[in-house]
Amino acid sequence: MSTKTITLGPSQLALEEPMYFRVETEGEIVAGIDVMAGQVHRGMEHLVMKRNLYQNITLLERLCSLCSNSHPSTFCTAVEEIAGIRIPLRAEYLRAIADEIKRISSHLFNSAVIAHITDRASIFKQAMEVREIMQNTKESIYGNRMDLAANCIGGVRYDLTPESAGYLTKQMERMKEPLDELYRLYTTDPALRERSEGVGVLSRQNAVDCGVVGPVARASGIDYDVRKKSPYGAYDRLCFTTAVETAGDVRARIMVRLREAREAVSLIDQCLVAMPAGPVWADALPEIPAGEAIAKSEAPRGELIYYLNTDGTDMPLRLKWRVPSFMNWDALKIMLIGEHIADIPLIVNSIDPCISCTDR
Amino acid sequence: MIDAHENIAKALKCSTGEEVAVTWRLDRKGVATGWCRLREAAGILPAARAVADLKGRLSMVTAYLPEATKHSGVRELAYHFDLDGTTLTIRIQLPPERAQVPSLTPVFRSADWNEREFMELYDIKVTGHPDPRRLFLDESIEPAAFERLIPYSTFSNGASSKALWDRVFADNDHKESP
Repeated sequence: MSTKTITLGPSQLALEEPMYFRVETEGEIVAGIDVMAGQVHRGMEHLVMKRNLYQNITLLERLCSLCSNSHPSTFCTAVEEIAGIRIPLRAEYLRAIADEIKRISSHLFNSAVIAHITDRASIFKQAMEVREIMQNTKESIYGNRMDLAANCIGGVRYDLTPESAGYLTKQMERMKEPLDELYRLYTTDPALRERSEGVGVLSRQNAVDCGVVGPVARASGIDYDVRKKSPYGAYDRLCFTTAVETAGDVRARIMVRLREAREAVSLIDQCLVAMPAGPVWADALPEIPAGEAIAKSEAPRGELIYYLNTDGTDMPLRLKWRVPSFMNWDALKIMLIGEHIADIPLIVNSIDPCISCTDR
Repeated sequence: MIDAHENIAKALKCSTGEEVAVTWRLDRKGVATGWCRLREAAGILPAARAVADLKGRLSMVTAYLPEATKHSGVRELAYHFDLDGTTLTIRIQLPPERAQVPSLTPVFRSADWNEREFMELYDIKVTGHPDPRRLFLDESIEPAAFERLIPYSTFSNGASSKALWDRVFADNDHKESP
C-alpha cells in the first residue's frame, strides 16, 4: 500500500480560519496527523499586559467572533472576584442571556457547516435561516450581529426594556419549532446519518486521556458542564439538563450541540421570567487590589478558564486564558486514524474548532 | 467538601514528600479554588500523579515573569488542575536562568501543547517532553519571546491567503512524499 504525507489547509477542510494539517496516509486511509497551529497568532497574551483592565474587555471580545461574549464575561468575573465586587442580580441574568444567545448562534453555525460538508444543501440552508433569527435578535438588542459589547466590570452595559424583553420572548418562541425540526432532520436524514454515524469516534477513555471539553467531551459520555460543575452568574438558579451522548462520533457531537441550542432557548426564557428589576451594574467600583483569581465559564465550545494576577494597579500583572479548542485539537489524532481522507473535513469540523481562539 | 480538600492536601504530601499547605477559597456560588506552592520544582511531576489519581485533569499552565519579580530572582509557573469543578493551582518557583521543569506528558497527555507554548514564550526548558517543537511561533523568531524586545509585527505571526499557503508548501517541499 502506498504511503504518502499530504498537507491540508483551510480551503480543503472548509474551515473559515487558517489551520494546517500534515496528514500521513496509507492509500485512502489516514495513518497519522500533525496539527500546525499559529497562522493567526496575534500575540494577544502580550497585548493584554500592555493594556489596562478596562481596555482589555474590548480587546478580549475581539479574540474571536463565535464565542466573543464568553471572553469578556469570564475576564470580568475574574476581576470582580479579586476586587470583591458583587454584580447586581439583574446583571447576572443579562450575562446569561448574552451567553446563551451566542451559544445558539454558534451551535447552529457549526451544524450548518456539517450539512454543507455532507452535501446536504437544503439542511444547510435551513440551519442558516434559523440562525438568522438569532443574528437579527443580536442586532436588534445589542446593535451588533457578532460582538455584543454586553459586559463591563461590575455588570453589563445593556438592559432590556419591557418592549425588548417582549421582543426577545417572541424571538425565542420563533426558535422552538425550527430547532426541534432541525434536531429531527439531523438525526434522521439518511445521507447525514450515513456520513456521521460511527465516523470520527472518540471513546470515553480517549476523551478523558485527551482532556477534551465541551460538546466534544459530552458526546463521548463525559457529563461535564462548567455551568453545573462550577456555577457562575445566574446558572445556579436556572434549570437545565446537560446534553450527554455516548457514541463519541460525529453524529453524537451534532446531537449534543442541537440539544444544547434548544436548552439555551429554555434558559433564556427562564432568565426573562426570573430576572428581577434593578440596576445592571454596580454603582461604585472599588480600586482593584493586588490578588489573583480563577474564573471559568462554559463557552459554546466548552470550558474556558481565565487566570488573572493583579498588583494593585490598573494593569494586569499576568492574564492567561485557555480556550476549549486548545484542548480539543489533540483528539483529532485519535478520531482521524483509520478514517477515509474524504472524511477529514467532516471530522475536523465536528470538533467545532475555533482557530482565532486557539492561536490568540 | 472539607474531606475532599483534606484528601487533596494529603495526596500532595504523600506524592511529593513535602508538607503542602493548600489555601481554599470559596466564591459566592460556593465554587472552591485551592492554591498551594511546592518548595521543589521537580515535585510537580509526582504532584500531577497525585491529581491524576484523584481523577483530576490538567486545565492550564501559566508561566510568568513580570518586571517586579525579575529583580527578586525568581520566575513562577502555575499549574491549574480541575478536580470535578474545583480548580487547584499548584505553583512552583524557578530561577530566572537555566530554568527547567519535568514534563507532565507522562501523566497528562494535554500537557503537550501547554508546555510547548510556555517553552516558546519563556526561557524554561521542559525535560522529557516528547515533541518540544515550536507551537505557535515561527522558528525565525528568537526564543523566549516574552522575555525580550521583539517588534510586534515580527512577533505576531498573523498572515493569510496565498502568501501563507506558498510558504507552508515551500517549507514542506522536502517533507512531502512525491
